[in-house]
Amino acid sequence: MSPKQNPELEKNAQILMKGTDALFKDRGQITFTKPAIMERKTIIEYEGRMRADGMEKFNNEPTYVSAVNFYVNANDMQKKKTLGALIIYVPQAYLAKLMRLLQYPPFDDEDESAMLDSCGTLGNIIAGRFKSGISNAGYIELEMSPFATYRNTFPLGVEFCPTEYDKYELKFDVENATRLVLELSMGPIPHR
Amino acid sequence: MADGNQPKKILIVDDSDLERELLMEVLRGTGVKNDFLQARTGEEAIQVLGTRYNEIGLILLDWQMPQMSGMEFMEAVVKVPQVARTPIIMVTASGTDENKKKASTVNPNLAGYIVKPYTPDSLVDVIKKYII
Repeated sequence: MSPKQNPELEKNAQILMKGTDALFKDRGQITFTKPAIMERKTIIEYEGRMRADGMEKFNNEPTYVSAVNFYVNANDMQKKKTLGALIIYVPQAYLAKLMRLLQYPPFDDEDESAMLDSCGTLGNIIAGRFKSGISNAGYIELEMSPFATYRNTFPLGVEFCPTEYDKYELKFDVENATRLVLELSMGPIPHR
Repeated sequence: MADGNQPKKILIVDDSDLERELLMEVLRGTGVKNDFLQARTGEEAIQVLGTRYNEIGLILLDWQMPQMSGMEFMEAVVKVPQVARTPIIMVTASGTDENKKKASTVNPNLAGYIVKPYTPDSLVDVIKKYII
């Protein structure tokens, strides 16, 4: 690990895992079939951005992908000086059901814009819970971007912190299959 | 109450269609009779306020939105006397004390703060004194 890399990436990923677990329990009483699988992986970079390909997460099934970036403060956000990225992957076939389990109103799962919107909505609440978890763990309050969402893949990749080489991948199973995958890349977050 | 004994409208500002739908569904489900106006962005909300401010009794405002954030929207509207007194409740995905403090600094009259995902009871608890 390069000395500049975030030594607390695993701790940050655990905060994400616990927050996501709590969110689903609070909101939807969804029980994950087994504890989330957390794995450290190397970031695949393309022209300075992190590759975010959804189809490879679910055996080439069509997938919706949503991403949010984090920044140390509003000034960095304006300058696009990215500290972290959280990417959410949900298989197309399960997105509407997952949102219903979270008690969101039904929507037309054949309507592309409604699917993109719902994946972004899910990304937003997971990222918001993570941001609160980070703050409660004694780190500074991060700034968070609005979500961006695509079907299958982010064509230009996702911005991430250039000092980082690794990310954590978290897989959540519902009804005995992986239905939600999160990826977290994060530079060192200053403590308060 | 607005003219003709009609309850004032609730303006929902959120870039997520699903979140706006959910807010309306939950509020209707708890017996709220007010009509709703919707805006997807801060800019759109300012346009709605500019022409219909006297119809609006409450604003439910998301924080993270593209272009103009909820905070930037509040910064803009608190300076306009005609709308500065309209209660604004933030409905946002992150509920840290620091965020709440930031929002209250920008808008000292902030009427409330709701963290997504919320329950119908927690939502009604915060908004009930602003709706008739």
